[in-house]
Amino acid sequence: MMATAVLTAPPVVDLPVMSTPTPDPRALFEEQAIPFLDQLYGAALRMTRNPADAQDLVQETFVKAYAAFGQFEQGTNLKAWLYRILTNTFINTYRKKQRDPYQGSTSEMEEWQLGGAESATATSSRSAEAEAIDHLPDSDVKEALQSIPEDFRLAVYLADVEGFSYQEIADIMKTPVGTVMSRLHRGRRLLRGLLADYAKERGLAAAPSSTRSGK
Amino acid sequence: MNNDCGCDKARAELEEYLRNEFCRTNAEDIRSHLETCEGCQSELHVGIVLTQTVQRACKEVAPEELRDQLLLTLRTLESR
Repeated sequence: MMATAVLTAPPVVDLPVMSTPTPDPRALFEEQAIPFLDQLYGAALRMTRNPADAQDLVQETFVKAYAAFGQFEQGTNLKAWLYRILTNTFINTYRKKQRDPYQGSTSEMEEWQLGGAESATATSSRSAEAEAIDHLPDSDVKEALQSIPEDFRLAVYLADVEGFSYQEIADIMKTPVGTVMSRLHRGRRLLRGLLADYAKERGLAAAPSSTRSGK
Repeated sequence: MNNDCGCDKARAELEEYLRNEFCRTNAEDIRSHLETCEGCQSELHVGIVLTQTVQRACKEVAPEELRDQLLLTLRTLESR
């Protein structure tokens, strides 16, 4: 049964197979899942916000994925499957451990914080804004991401970095597509405001939008 | 055929347009609006740059020790 399933699995790449195709489950798992290690680690870093927890989270994710690999349907989206396990594990184990002011809840961000980043600014200032964002160092971008609420951050990460569709994100985060959309919109709006602030602080040609106007 | 959808509708769904996601407004109508509206073009541009910037900043490489540890763990699981 097992062997048949493995043998009939569609080849991932169209290369001639030289050796006899009798991969054991571990070899198959290593071959298919390990290539996602860097990506999953990147996501774990954005989730846990520290390398030690990120490593633990990734370990746990791969162990769980390996244990459940028999249930994975070959030919379907392995990356999305792994992200589902990662997100689940994070929510069930790590989120509980981590306490921060924005803990999970997106309703805590008030409208003033969400600001009107896309308010009626002129075209010229918008192209200056784009250029300023483009010139920001990675560290600023990561810091900005770290500081937005977790649900927003995750949605933005899954969409913008991983390129998942709204439906895939909805499956991964176990929320309706409408929620995904609003998290994305609000997350991106927040991020944009924060990046504009960083740009201003760095003296880059900055846009007028600001989410941290508390002077 | 192509109906310019106007700024409000285009702005509301620029992100969906950007991602090729389903829009309430026809993507063609947004496209034809963008052709003539500099404001919305620049707004779309900011959106694209934002996405690229986040992508660029979030590229990570897992530490070697994590990879090694992981392979080791998988092998111990296997031998049980």
